[in-house]
Amino acid sequence: MFSRILIANRGEIALRILRAARELGIETVCVYSKADKDGPWLEQADETICIGPGPAAESYLRIDRIISAAEITNVDAIHPGYGFLAENAHFAEVCRDCHIEFIGPSPEAMALLGDKISCRSVARAAKTPISPGSDGAVEDEEKALEVAERVGYPVIIKAAAGGGGRGMRIAADEQALRSGLAPARQEAQAAFGNGSLYLEKFLEDTRHVEIQVLGDKHGHAIHLYERDCTSQRRHQKLIEESPAPGVDPKKRDAVARSAAELIRRARYTGAATVEFMMDGQQNFYMLEVNTRVQVEHPVTEMVTGVDIVQETIRIAAGEPLRWRQRDIRLSGHAIECRINAEDPDRRFQPQPGLVERFLPPGGPGVRLDTHVRAGYRIPSMYDSMIGKLIVKAPTRQEAIGKMRAALDEFTIEPIRTTIPLHRRLMDNRQFAEGDFDIHYIERLLKEAEPAAVQHTI
Amino acid sequence: MIDIRKLKELVRLMVSNELTELDLRDSEEQVTLRRPSPLQATPAAAVAPSGSATAVAEAPAPSAALTDQADGIVKIESPMVGTFYAASTPDASPFVQAGSAVGPDTPVCIIEAMKIFNEIKAECSGVIEKVLIKNGEPVEFGQPLFLVRPT
Repeated sequence: MFSRILIANRGEIALRILRAARELGIETVCVYSKADKDGPWLEQADETICIGPGPAAESYLRIDRIISAAEITNVDAIHPGYGFLAENAHFAEVCRDCHIEFIGPSPEAMALLGDKISCRSVARAAKTPISPGSDGAVEDEEKALEVAERVGYPVIIKAAAGGGGRGMRIAADEQALRSGLAPARQEAQAAFGNGSLYLEKFLEDTRHVEIQVLGDKHGHAIHLYERDCTSQRRHQKLIEESPAPGVDPKKRDAVARSAAELIRRARYTGAATVEFMMDGQQNFYMLEVNTRVQVEHPVTEMVTGVDIVQETIRIAAGEPLRWRQRDIRLSGHAIECRINAEDPDRRFQPQPGLVERFLPPGGPGVRLDTHVRAGYRIPSMYDSMIGKLIVKAPTRQEAIGKMRAALDEFTIEPIRTTIPLHRRLMDNRQFAEGDFDIHYIERLLKEAEPAAVQHTI
Repeated sequence: MIDIRKLKELVRLMVSNELTELDLRDSEEQVTLRRPSPLQATPAAAVAPSGSATAVAEAPAPSAALTDQADGIVKIESPMVGTFYAASTPDASPFVQAGSAVGPDTPVCIIEAMKIFNEIKAECSGVIEKVLIKNGEPVEFGQPLFLVRPT
């Protein structure tokens, strides 16, 4: 097991990793930017190293400074968390070259599954369901039209190097496809440094169901069942839950097993999530694989009892997985609300500034993953998520009730947050019935917008 | 009102000179521009194994930052993370000590990171008041290295 690790991240995930390391008796080094010098999580670290000014490009993304910090503090491994360098195969390679363990997959496995086209190939071999589309990249218009004819319009043009909802363009018919290809290629090249495109059949109003998987360095991989992340706004998740409401367990089990098989075939080590769209007939279609620990990992931790972040460290240290697939059982229902420092009544305008009052909820089955406390100043230059509120109860209905109560208790002042929006969603009929698709919140927000606001620039 | 043409010209200058930060002030206004470093890591893409031990992009040695204290003393701060060395080799005498005169291009120390030795220059004129770091000590970004009494 490692003696000392460096946490190359900030905020709630840095604290999360720190806690897992502490439980394993591992010393921690936290890197931080000048903008984060008063970050409350830093007080928990054994050592802290400043790696640059506020902007992430000058600090949390500076591979050279992070590696230097790792060297001068003599750490055995680096945990990248999520975002920043977590899915950067070059960073994973630099760690390896410098004999520092990267807590995550090998650069090869990361690149294999991170590239959407090669990932689809591995998925096919693992019998993981993917949406009908091109077998590889579409190099030219002729190939694109051929694929679209075969799978049927509408189709979606996607960047092989894209992800997280970016680099996508819908083509409703042949004309749209013809005119959309060149701009899509240019955009992909500019945004991701790679103009490679592929095509998929476009599915509308689906649900988003993802499978959590773990793979170790001894060739074993297991799944930890699913999370439903249908509650989104512009491809950003707001609420996640497990299990996915109303899904046929047999279908779910088959998909989950194929996701574990995909990870195993890719020789992927660590935690990963295989994301799917689910249509009205509960057919699953793989979207992409996230080669990192995810924001919403606590949901799965609550219903399976597995400490996912701790497992990433154990796996990286070479320990074999302690469970067989049949040892993993789902118990109860968990829901997570992502709390953002944004004003939902003013187009989700970010709300940086001083948190004067911070009264977190608590009690049985209530968990809050946050770095924020009273007196903390939320910086303006990072993402606006300030915490995750997770509840677990025996049934979904009770979990919703528990979340209502926890949100009512949760006080953050004077910063505006998305707590009131989550509170409204806990009373929403579509959410209560699990009768939703990935655009239901956007439609809800649009309906609720007063006419005056809609016409304001 | 900020002049857009002036801003565009500043951005052009930044890009053509590969600057990552530009801070301009006069009595009336202040403009700070930042752009991602040209050394930036690219998003996850196909891995081309580099085969080299130090896989870090080459760049000129970073420049020390200066901060004014209230008493007029200037702090020379580390522009990088690494190990501080007071002299160019273990046998050589230190670049500077208390009382040494420095100019903007006077080397004051070496900071080593990933086997690359970066010579750090004073970036100011004056006399070294105090050396704050011991030879061989690790330093972080922004850490004060020297106190200088400006001339």
